[in-house]
Amino acid sequence: MWWKALSVVLIVYSLIAGTLVPLKPGITYVSPQTARSGQQLVLQLHGYNSFYAQSPANDIRVWLQYDSAQALTGQQIRVLNDTTLEASFLIPTELPRPTASVMLNAIIDHPADGVSLLPSAIEIVKDSIASQANWSGGNISGLHVKKDFSFPYRNVIYESIRNTYFHVPMWFVLMFLFIASAWNSVQFLRFSNPAQAAALDSKKGQSLLDFDRKAAAYAEAGLLFGILGLITGMLWAHYAWGAAWSNDIKQLMTAVALLIYLAYFILRSSFDEPEKGARLAAVYNIFAFASLIPLLYIVPRMFASLHPGATGNPAFGSEDLDNTMRMVFYPAIIGWSLFGFWLAQLRYRYQRLLDKATGLD
Amino acid sequence: MKFFKARIFFTIILFLAISLPTVLAQGNRDYMRETGKINVVIGVIVLIFIGIVTYVLRLDRKLTKLEHQLKDDKNGWTN
Repeated sequence: MWWKALSVVLIVYSLIAGTLVPLKPGITYVSPQTARSGQQLVLQLHGYNSFYAQSPANDIRVWLQYDSAQALTGQQIRVLNDTTLEASFLIPTELPRPTASVMLNAIIDHPADGVSLLPSAIEIVKDSIASQANWSGGNISGLHVKKDFSFPYRNVIYESIRNTYFHVPMWFVLMFLFIASAWNSVQFLRFSNPAQAAALDSKKGQSLLDFDRKAAAYAEAGLLFGILGLITGMLWAHYAWGAAWSNDIKQLMTAVALLIYLAYFILRSSFDEPEKGARLAAVYNIFAFASLIPLLYIVPRMFASLHPGATGNPAFGSEDLDNTMRMVFYPAIIGWSLFGFWLAQLRYRYQRLLDKATGLD
Repeated sequence: MKFFKARIFFTIILFLAISLPTVLAQGNRDYMRETGKINVVIGVIVLIFIGIVTYVLRLDRKLTKLEHQLKDDKNGWTN
Protein backbone atom coordinates (compact mmCIF):
# COMPACT_ATOMS: atom_id res chain seq x y z
CA MET A 1 0.00 0.00 0.00
CA TRP A 2 2.80 2.42 0.92
CA TRP A 3 4.14 2.41 -2.62
CA LYS A 4 0.77 3.51 -4.02
CA ALA A 5 0.82 6.55 -1.73
CA LEU A 6 4.47 7.13 -2.68
CA SER A 7 3.58 7.09 -6.38
CA VAL A 8 0.95 9.80 -5.84
CA VAL A 9 3.34 11.90 -3.73
CA LEU A 10 6.11 11.66 -6.34
CA ILE A 11 3.78 12.46 -9.26
CA VAL A 12 2.33 15.47 -7.44
CA TYR A 13 5.87 16.60 -6.56
CA SER A 14 6.96 16.31 -10.19
CA LEU A 15 3.85 18.18 -11.35
CA ILE A 16 4.45 21.06 -8.94
CA ALA A 17 8.23 21.30 -9.25
CA GLY A 18 8.14 20.52 -12.96
CA THR A 19 5.75 23.35 -13.78
CA LEU A 20 6.69 26.02 -11.23
CA VAL A 21 10.51 26.10 -11.15
CA PRO A 22 11.56 28.92 -13.50
CA LEU A 23 13.83 28.56 -16.50
CA LYS A 24 17.29 30.13 -16.56
CA PRO A 25 17.42 33.41 -18.47
CA GLY A 26 18.03 33.25 -22.20
CA ILE A 27 18.15 35.43 -25.30
CA THR A 28 15.14 35.03 -27.60
CA TYR A 29 16.35 37.23 -30.45
CA VAL A 30 18.41 40.27 -31.34
CA SER A 31 17.51 43.11 -33.64
CA PRO A 32 18.64 43.88 -36.27
CA GLN A 33 19.44 40.35 -37.45
CA THR A 34 21.77 41.41 -40.26
CA ALA A 35 24.53 44.02 -40.36
CA ARG A 36 27.24 45.11 -42.78
CA SER A 37 30.95 44.93 -42.16
CA GLY A 38 32.50 48.25 -41.16
CA GLN A 39 29.22 49.45 -39.68
CA GLN A 40 28.68 51.07 -36.26
CA LEU A 41 25.94 48.69 -35.07
CA VAL A 42 23.50 49.41 -32.24
CA LEU A 43 22.16 46.02 -31.27
CA GLN A 44 19.07 45.31 -29.15
CA LEU A 45 19.07 42.01 -27.29
CA HIS A 46 15.75 40.60 -26.08
CA GLY A 47 15.94 38.36 -23.03
CA TYR A 48 13.63 35.74 -21.62
CA ASN A 49 13.14 35.37 -17.84
CA SER A 50 15.94 37.93 -17.45
CA PHE A 51 16.40 40.67 -14.85
CA TYR A 52 18.85 43.00 -16.61
CA ALA A 53 17.71 46.07 -14.63
CA GLN A 54 18.71 44.49 -11.32
CA SER A 55 22.42 45.09 -11.89
CA PRO A 56 24.24 48.29 -12.88
CA ALA A 57 24.73 48.48 -16.64
CA ASN A 58 28.53 48.54 -16.45
CA ASP A 59 28.59 45.10 -14.75
CA ILE A 60 26.84 43.56 -17.76
CA ARG A 61 28.99 42.40 -20.64
CA VAL A 62 27.89 41.57 -24.19
CA TRP A 63 29.78 39.83 -26.99
CA LEU A 64 29.18 38.81 -30.58
CA GLN A 65 31.15 35.60 -30.84
CA TYR A 66 32.58 34.06 -34.00
CA ASP A 67 34.40 31.08 -32.49
CA SER A 68 36.07 30.15 -29.21
CA ALA A 69 38.93 32.56 -29.81
CA GLN A 70 37.36 35.39 -31.81
CA ALA A 71 34.65 37.77 -30.63
CA LEU A 72 33.57 41.42 -30.65
CA THR A 73 32.98 43.18 -27.33
CA GLY A 74 29.90 45.36 -26.93
CA GLN A 75 30.40 49.02 -25.90
CA GLN A 76 28.06 51.53 -24.20
CA ILE A 77 25.68 48.97 -22.78
CA ARG A 78 22.29 50.38 -21.84
CA VAL A 79 19.56 48.56 -19.95
CA LEU A 80 16.16 49.54 -21.38
CA ASN A 81 14.18 47.23 -19.10
CA ASP A 82 14.44 43.80 -17.48
CA THR A 83 14.24 42.01 -20.82
CA THR A 84 15.90 44.47 -23.23
CA LEU A 85 19.54 45.46 -23.51
CA GLU A 86 21.25 47.78 -25.98
CA ALA A 87 24.91 47.49 -26.93
CA SER A 88 26.90 49.07 -29.73
CA PHE A 89 29.51 47.26 -31.78
CA LEU A 90 32.01 48.54 -34.31
CA ILE A 91 32.00 45.78 -36.92
CA PRO A 92 35.48 45.45 -38.53
CA THR A 93 35.71 45.92 -42.29
CA GLU A 94 37.22 42.47 -42.72
CA LEU A 95 35.48 39.24 -41.66
CA PRO A 96 37.35 36.45 -39.82
CA ARG A 97 36.77 34.16 -42.79
CA PRO A 98 37.08 34.96 -46.54
CA THR A 99 33.36 34.59 -47.26
CA ALA A 100 30.50 36.96 -48.07
CA SER A 101 28.88 36.52 -44.64
CA VAL A 102 29.42 35.05 -41.18
CA MET A 103 26.94 34.14 -38.44
CA LEU A 104 27.74 35.37 -34.94
CA ASN A 105 26.48 34.10 -31.57
CA ALA A 106 25.21 36.64 -29.05
CA ILE A 107 26.47 36.22 -25.47
CA ILE A 108 25.34 38.18 -22.41
CA ASP A 109 27.05 37.88 -19.05
CA HIS A 110 25.06 39.27 -16.13
CA PRO A 111 26.20 39.18 -12.46
CA ALA A 112 22.87 37.79 -11.19
CA ASP A 113 21.35 36.10 -14.26
CA GLY A 114 24.53 34.32 -15.30
CA VAL A 115 25.64 33.82 -18.87
CA SER A 116 23.19 33.28 -21.74
CA LEU A 117 23.87 32.54 -25.38
CA LEU A 118 21.92 32.71 -28.63
CA PRO A 119 23.59 30.73 -31.44
CA SER A 120 23.65 32.31 -34.93
CA ALA A 121 21.98 35.44 -33.62
CA ILE A 122 23.12 37.86 -36.31
CA GLU A 123 24.53 37.67 -39.82
CA ILE A 124 27.33 40.01 -40.89
CA VAL A 125 27.51 40.53 -44.69
CA LYS A 126 30.35 41.94 -46.77
CA ASP A 127 30.61 42.97 -50.43
CA SER A 128 34.08 41.74 -51.33
CA ILE A 129 35.60 38.54 -50.05
CA ALA A 130 39.21 39.32 -50.89
CA SER A 131 40.74 39.21 -47.42
CA GLN A 132 40.18 38.25 -43.84
CA ALA A 133 41.06 39.58 -40.41
CA ASN A 134 41.64 38.24 -36.92
CA TRP A 135 38.92 39.17 -34.42
CA SER A 136 40.74 38.04 -31.30
CA GLY A 137 40.09 41.34 -29.52
CA GLY A 138 37.06 40.29 -27.46
CA ASN A 139 38.10 38.31 -24.40
CA ILE A 140 35.25 36.15 -23.06
CA SER A 141 36.18 35.18 -19.51
CA GLY A 142 35.05 35.44 -15.92
CA LEU A 143 31.52 34.37 -16.78
CA HIS A 144 28.86 34.21 -14.06
CA VAL A 145 26.60 31.28 -13.19
CA LYS A 146 23.05 31.78 -11.92
CA LYS A 147 22.83 30.34 -8.42
CA ASP A 148 19.06 29.92 -8.04
CA PHE A 149 17.33 26.57 -8.59
CA SER A 150 16.21 26.75 -12.21
CA PHE A 151 15.93 24.62 -15.34
CA PRO A 152 18.14 25.18 -18.41
CA TYR A 153 17.02 27.51 -21.17
CA ARG A 154 17.08 25.95 -24.63
CA ASN A 155 16.22 27.68 -27.87
CA VAL A 156 13.20 26.44 -29.85
CA ILE A 157 11.78 24.33 -27.02
CA TYR A 158 11.87 27.02 -24.26
CA GLU A 159 9.39 26.12 -21.47
CA SER A 160 8.44 22.85 -23.15
CA ILE A 161 11.70 21.43 -21.74
CA ARG A 162 9.41 20.60 -18.79
CA ASN A 163 7.83 17.86 -20.91
CA THR A 164 10.92 15.85 -19.91
CA TYR A 165 9.08 15.15 -16.63
CA PHE A 166 5.85 14.04 -18.32
CA HIS A 167 6.53 12.66 -21.78
CA VAL A 168 9.78 10.79 -21.04
CA PRO A 169 8.61 8.91 -17.88
CA MET A 170 5.85 7.34 -20.03
CA TRP A 171 8.56 5.40 -21.90
CA PHE A 172 10.29 4.35 -18.69
CA VAL A 173 6.96 3.02 -17.35
CA LEU A 174 6.37 1.20 -20.64
CA MET A 175 9.80 -0.41 -20.38
CA PHE A 176 9.35 -1.54 -16.76
CA LEU A 177 5.83 -2.87 -17.42
CA PHE A 178 6.90 -4.76 -20.53
CA ILE A 179 9.82 -6.28 -18.61
CA ALA A 180 7.37 -7.43 -15.91
CA SER A 181 5.07 -8.77 -18.62
CA ALA A 182 7.84 -10.73 -20.33
CA TRP A 183 9.02 -12.07 -16.95
CA ASN A 184 5.53 -13.39 -16.19
CA SER A 185 5.34 -15.01 -19.61
CA VAL A 186 8.64 -16.76 -18.91
CA GLN A 187 7.30 -17.91 -15.55
CA PHE A 188 4.15 -19.21 -17.23
CA LEU A 189 6.11 -21.31 -19.69
CA ARG A 190 8.45 -22.52 -16.95
CA PHE A 191 5.67 -23.74 -14.65
CA SER A 192 3.55 -25.16 -17.47
CA ASN A 193 6.25 -27.84 -17.68
CA PRO A 194 4.80 -30.82 -15.71
CA ALA A 195 8.14 -31.36 -13.98
CA GLN A 196 7.87 -27.88 -12.47
CA ALA A 197 4.24 -28.21 -11.33
CA ALA A 198 5.28 -29.29 -7.83
CA ALA A 199 7.32 -26.10 -7.42
CA LEU A 200 4.23 -24.09 -8.34
CA ASP A 201 2.10 -25.75 -5.66
CA SER A 202 4.50 -24.61 -2.95
CA LYS A 203 3.84 -20.98 -3.90
CA LYS A 204 0.80 -19.95 -1.95
CA GLY A 205 -2.35 -19.39 -3.98
CA GLN A 206 -0.51 -19.16 -7.30
CA SER A 207 -2.15 -20.83 -10.25
CA LEU A 208 -0.57 -21.24 -13.64
CA LEU A 209 -3.06 -18.92 -15.34
CA ASP A 210 -2.18 -16.19 -12.85
CA PHE A 211 1.12 -15.70 -14.71
CA ASP A 212 -0.79 -15.27 -17.97
CA ARG A 213 -3.19 -12.78 -16.39
CA LYS A 214 -0.29 -10.81 -14.92
CA ALA A 215 1.57 -10.82 -18.24
CA ALA A 216 -1.53 -9.53 -20.04
CA ALA A 217 -2.29 -6.89 -17.40
CA TYR A 218 1.29 -5.55 -17.41
CA ALA A 219 1.33 -5.53 -21.22
CA GLU A 220 -2.01 -3.69 -21.34
CA ALA A 221 -0.90 -1.00 -18.89
CA GLY A 222 2.41 -0.75 -20.75
CA LEU A 223 0.56 -0.27 -24.01
CA LEU A 224 -1.54 2.49 -22.41
CA PHE A 225 1.62 4.34 -21.40
CA GLY A 226 3.12 3.73 -24.82
CA ILE A 227 0.11 5.29 -26.54
CA LEU A 228 0.23 8.22 -24.09
CA GLY A 229 3.95 8.63 -24.77
CA LEU A 230 3.37 8.60 -28.53
CA ILE A 231 0.49 11.11 -28.39
CA THR A 232 2.27 13.50 -26.01
CA GLY A 233 5.36 13.16 -28.19
CA MET A 234 3.29 14.13 -31.24
CA LEU A 235 1.94 17.22 -29.47
CA TRP A 236 5.45 18.22 -28.41
CA ALA A 237 6.80 17.50 -31.91
CA HIS A 238 4.13 19.73 -33.45
CA TYR A 239 5.63 22.72 -31.65
CA ALA A 240 9.29 21.69 -31.52
CA TRP A 241 9.89 19.86 -34.81
CA GLY A 242 7.20 21.68 -36.83
CA ALA A 243 4.96 18.66 -37.51
CA ALA A 244 3.17 16.17 -35.28
CA TRP A 245 4.22 13.23 -37.45
CA SER A 246 7.33 13.66 -39.56
CA ASN A 247 8.01 9.94 -40.23
CA ASP A 248 11.00 10.29 -37.94
CA ILE A 249 12.73 6.94 -37.40
CA LYS A 250 12.04 7.10 -33.65
CA GLN A 251 8.32 7.73 -34.24
CA LEU A 252 8.03 4.99 -36.86
CA MET A 253 9.86 2.32 -34.87
CA THR A 254 7.86 3.17 -31.73
CA ALA A 255 4.61 2.81 -33.66
CA VAL A 256 5.78 -0.56 -34.98
CA ALA A 257 6.67 -1.72 -31.45
CA LEU A 258 3.22 -0.68 -30.14
CA LEU A 259 1.50 -2.49 -33.03
CA ILE A 260 3.45 -5.66 -32.21
CA TYR A 261 2.14 -5.48 -28.65
CA LEU A 262 -1.39 -4.75 -29.94
CA ALA A 263 -1.22 -8.04 -31.85
CA TYR A 264 -0.40 -9.81 -28.56
CA PHE A 265 -3.91 -9.08 -27.27
CA ILE A 266 -5.54 -10.18 -30.51
CA LEU A 267 -3.58 -13.45 -30.41
CA ARG A 268 -4.38 -14.04 -26.75
CA SER A 269 -8.12 -13.53 -27.19
CA SER A 270 -8.46 -15.67 -30.31
CA PHE A 271 -8.43 -19.06 -28.56
CA ASP A 272 -11.34 -20.78 -26.86
CA GLU A 273 -9.10 -22.84 -24.64
CA PRO A 274 -7.55 -20.43 -22.13
CA GLU A 275 -4.50 -22.62 -21.44
CA LYS A 276 -3.62 -22.98 -25.11
CA GLY A 277 -4.13 -19.28 -25.79
CA ALA A 278 -2.05 -18.40 -22.75
CA ARG A 279 0.81 -20.63 -23.90
CA LEU A 280 0.95 -19.16 -27.42
CA ALA A 281 0.54 -15.63 -26.08
CA ALA A 282 3.40 -16.20 -23.66
CA VAL A 283 5.70 -17.30 -26.48
CA TYR A 284 4.61 -14.35 -28.62
CA ASN A 285 5.11 -11.95 -25.70
CA ILE A 286 8.74 -13.03 -25.29
CA PHE A 287 9.36 -12.45 -28.99
CA ALA A 288 7.57 -9.08 -28.80
CA PHE A 289 9.85 -8.06 -25.95
CA ALA A 290 12.90 -9.22 -27.86
CA SER A 291 11.88 -7.01 -30.79
CA LEU A 292 11.07 -4.05 -28.51
CA ILE A 293 14.69 -3.40 -27.56
CA PRO A 294 16.05 -2.96 -31.11
CA LEU A 295 12.95 -1.05 -32.20
CA LEU A 296 13.12 1.49 -29.37
CA TYR A 297 16.82 1.72 -28.59
CA ILE A 298 18.98 0.38 -31.41
CA VAL A 299 17.43 1.09 -34.83
CA PRO A 300 16.58 4.78 -34.09
CA ARG A 301 20.26 5.40 -33.29
CA MET A 302 21.45 4.07 -36.62
CA PHE A 303 19.62 6.71 -38.68
CA ALA A 304 19.34 10.48 -38.59
CA SER A 305 16.57 11.47 -36.19
CA LEU A 306 15.16 14.66 -34.73
CA HIS A 307 14.73 12.96 -31.38
CA PRO A 308 17.37 13.66 -28.71
CA GLY A 309 19.49 10.65 -27.90
CA ALA A 310 19.54 9.56 -31.53
CA THR A 311 22.71 9.24 -33.62
CA GLY A 312 24.69 7.27 -31.13
CA ASN A 313 24.42 9.21 -27.87
CA PRO A 314 22.80 7.80 -24.79
CA ALA A 315 19.35 9.37 -24.53
CA PHE A 316 20.31 11.46 -21.52
CA GLY A 317 23.72 12.95 -21.92
CA SER A 318 24.90 15.98 -20.02
CA GLU A 319 23.43 18.15 -22.77
CA ASP A 320 19.88 16.94 -22.24
CA LEU A 321 19.70 16.89 -18.44
CA ASP A 322 21.37 18.96 -15.76
CA ASN A 323 21.38 18.40 -12.02
CA THR A 324 18.34 20.59 -11.35
CA MET A 325 16.34 18.60 -13.90
CA ARG A 326 17.48 15.31 -12.38
CA MET A 327 15.95 16.34 -9.06
CA VAL A 328 12.53 16.34 -10.73
CA PHE A 329 13.12 13.79 -13.48
CA TYR A 330 14.10 10.79 -11.34
CA PRO A 331 11.24 11.19 -8.82
CA ALA A 332 8.85 11.52 -11.81
CA ILE A 333 10.12 8.23 -13.26
CA ILE A 334 9.77 6.41 -9.93
CA GLY A 335 6.33 7.91 -9.29
CA TRP A 336 4.92 7.11 -12.72
CA SER A 337 6.41 3.59 -12.67
CA LEU A 338 4.79 2.77 -9.34
CA PHE A 339 1.54 4.25 -10.66
CA GLY A 340 1.79 2.09 -13.78
CA PHE A 341 2.24 -1.06 -11.66
CA TRP A 342 -0.72 0.01 -9.54
CA LEU A 343 -2.93 0.32 -12.64
CA ALA A 344 -1.72 -3.03 -13.98
CA GLN A 345 -2.37 -4.69 -10.63
CA LEU A 346 -5.97 -3.41 -10.59
CA ARG A 347 -6.43 -4.83 -14.08
CA TYR A 348 -4.98 -8.19 -12.97
CA ARG A 349 -7.16 -8.37 -9.86
CA TYR A 350 -10.25 -7.65 -11.95
CA GLN A 351 -9.35 -10.41 -14.39
CA ARG A 352 -8.81 -12.94 -11.56
CA LEU A 353 -12.23 -12.08 -10.08
CA LEU A 354 -13.90 -12.37 -13.46
CA ASP A 355 -12.30 -15.75 -14.16
CA LYS A 356 -13.32 -16.98 -10.72
CA ALA A 357 -16.89 -15.82 -11.27
CA THR A 358 -17.10 -17.45 -14.68
CA GLY A 359 -15.51 -20.63 -13.38
CA LEU A 360 -12.41 -20.45 -15.56
CA ASP A 361 -9.96 -20.96 -12.75
CA MET B 1 -27.51 2.57 -27.52
CA LYS B 2 -24.59 2.61 -25.12
CA PHE B 3 -22.30 1.72 -27.99
CA PHE B 4 -23.50 4.67 -30.05
CA LYS B 5 -23.15 7.03 -27.10
CA ALA B 6 -19.53 5.96 -26.65
CA ARG B 7 -18.98 6.39 -30.39
CA ILE B 8 -20.36 9.92 -30.37
CA PHE B 9 -18.34 10.81 -27.28
CA PHE B 10 -15.05 9.60 -28.76
CA THR B 11 -15.77 11.25 -32.11
CA ILE B 12 -16.26 14.57 -30.34
CA ILE B 13 -13.05 14.09 -28.33
CA LEU B 14 -11.12 13.20 -31.49
CA PHE B 15 -12.54 16.20 -33.33
CA LEU B 16 -11.58 18.51 -30.45
CA ALA B 17 -8.08 17.06 -30.29
CA ILE B 18 -7.52 17.49 -34.02
CA SER B 19 -8.97 20.99 -34.25
CA LEU B 20 -7.31 22.27 -31.08
CA PRO B 21 -4.06 23.49 -32.70
CA THR B 22 -6.08 25.38 -35.32
CA VAL B 23 -8.44 26.87 -32.72
CA LEU B 24 -5.52 27.95 -30.55
CA ALA B 25 -3.73 29.55 -33.51
CA GLN B 26 -6.62 31.90 -34.40
CA GLY B 27 -5.79 35.36 -35.68
CA ASN B 28 -2.33 36.71 -35.02
CA ARG B 29 -1.96 34.90 -31.69
CA ASP B 30 -0.73 31.35 -31.29
CA TYR B 31 -1.46 30.43 -27.69
CA MET B 32 0.74 27.36 -27.85
CA ARG B 33 3.79 29.32 -28.96
CA GLU B 34 3.24 32.28 -26.62
CA THR B 35 5.06 32.62 -23.29
CA GLY B 36 7.78 30.18 -24.18
CA LYS B 37 5.46 27.35 -25.33
CA ILE B 38 4.33 26.68 -21.75
CA ASN B 39 0.90 25.61 -23.02
CA VAL B 40 2.48 22.62 -24.79
CA VAL B 41 3.37 21.36 -21.30
CA ILE B 42 -0.21 21.95 -20.13
CA GLY B 43 -1.44 20.05 -23.21
CA VAL B 44 0.85 17.09 -22.48
CA ILE B 45 -0.31 16.91 -18.85
CA VAL B 46 -3.97 17.10 -19.94
CA LEU B 47 -3.46 14.33 -22.53
CA ILE B 48 -1.88 12.03 -19.93
CA PHE B 49 -4.72 12.79 -17.51
CA ILE B 50 -7.38 12.07 -20.16
CA GLY B 51 -5.67 8.82 -21.14
CA ILE B 52 -5.42 7.47 -17.60
CA VAL B 53 -8.96 8.54 -16.69
CA THR B 54 -10.29 6.83 -19.83
CA TYR B 55 -8.49 3.63 -18.85
CA VAL B 56 -9.80 3.74 -15.27
CA LEU B 57 -13.35 4.45 -16.52
CA ARG B 58 -13.17 1.39 -18.78
CA LEU B 59 -12.06 -0.74 -15.85
CA ASP B 60 -14.85 0.77 -13.75
CA ARG B 61 -17.43 -0.22 -16.36
CA LYS B 62 -16.08 -3.77 -16.52
CA LEU B 63 -16.28 -4.05 -12.73
CA THR B 64 -19.87 -2.81 -12.74
CA LYS B 65 -20.73 -5.48 -15.28
CA LEU B 66 -19.06 -8.13 -13.13
CA GLU B 67 -21.00 -6.93 -10.07
CA HIS B 68 -24.28 -7.23 -11.94
CA GLN B 69 -23.27 -10.67 -13.14
CA LEU B 70 -22.58 -11.80 -9.59
CA LYS B 71 -25.88 -10.38 -8.31
CA ASP B 72 -27.87 -12.21 -10.99
CA ASP B 73 -26.13 -15.53 -10.44
CA LYS B 74 -25.27 -15.96 -6.77
CA ASN B 75 -24.87 -19.72 -7.08
CA GLY B 76 -22.09 -19.37 -9.64
CA TRP B 77 -20.02 -17.46 -7.11
CA THR B 78 -17.89 -19.75 -5.02
CA ASN B 79 -15.29 -18.74 -2.44
